[in-house]
Amino acid sequence: MNRITAALAAACLAGLAQAASLPTDEPLDPDKAFRPSARLVAGEPSPTAGTERHGIDIEYRIAPGYYLYRSRLRFEVSPASLLIGTPELPAGIEVDDPFIGKSAIFRERVTIHLPFVVSIAKPGTYKVKIVAQGCAEERICYSPFPQEVVVNIPPGYRVTDSPGLPAARNGPR
Amino acid sequence: MKRWAPFAGIALLAALAGVSLWLAGRHAAPPALESGPVDASPAAIQATRFEDGDGRGRTLAEFSGKVVVVNFWATWCTPCREEMPGFVKLQSRWQGRGVQFVGLAQDDAAKVAAFGRELGINYPLWLGGGEVMTLSRRLGNRLGVLPHTVLLDPQGRVIESRIGIYHESALETRLAAITGK
Repeated sequence: MNRITAALAAACLAGLAQAASLPTDEPLDPDKAFRPSARLVAGEPSPTAGTERHGIDIEYRIAPGYYLYRSRLRFEVSPASLLIGTPELPAGIEVDDPFIGKSAIFRERVTIHLPFVVSIAKPGTYKVKIVAQGCAEERICYSPFPQEVVVNIPPGYRVTDSPGLPAARNGPR
Repeated sequence: MKRWAPFAGIALLAALAGVSLWLAGRHAAPPALESGPVDASPAAIQATRFEDGDGRGRTLAEFSGKVVVVNFWATWCTPCREEMPGFVKLQSRWQGRGVQFVGLAQDDAAKVAAFGRELGINYPLWLGGGEVMTLSRRLGNRLGVLPHTVLLDPQGRVIESRIGIYHESALETRLAAITGK
């Protein structure tokens, strides 16, 4: 009998705990739910043998219970003299939505690489403007929100092994 | 009667309550939350222009005299789509009692039309550009999140502004209290 009583009590507590865990607080400000930071990538080894990576890594730390839509991230660097190529995004987690079909999302942490398409990057401070879209699981979604991070290129920095990518339009992508 | 029988009865009832809550909680979204202060006059709310699916200009002024449930949403917003079937039922039940639902989206017109057909939406789904979220923010949506639901009285004044999923039963209770019907 003791075992039965204990099991029933556990079920009761589980139910109460679940009910109590429903979030009733205000969703996080998007800048707290999705925290980007920028880092200069200067000649780090590339996954492709024999090449180096030059560009900007944008790392997102995403609060638990929140996610970003992969296909809705847009980046723009200013001043526009620093040209970047197509952002390199990880595959993300595939989700199958009954209405919008298959898409990919990012949770917890993700790093996006913005490759340089210039051989010499002028030293200075550059801003990366980001437009992102995401949601709090089963609660709310954020309409597209702008964010901005800064990266510094030190004097003397030179893209020594720029892979000769075709020059790209430096607009939102 | 065995000594433990009364305790077992109490434990059984408690467990049933617990399991019920657990089952309910597994699929229940949290309730909608009151949003922030409103910074829009009834005239400003009713003057904001939107477009219907045929590209015709529309304003909320055409629902003057009714309690209006304004729902800010988007096709890509999963929680929005979760609450809308409840709105369809409420529109059916309350349309003869002076209540009008309207959906406002800053979205692709073709997607909105397809969504409306697929879910059998029985209230207007209007579109706009930046003015949609501008109005939403002025109606207390500080974070710019969706869904956002605003109840307007027959004069266009804000009665209530909430973010998050507005459950059918909670909204129906609110409509009954507002209309006295």
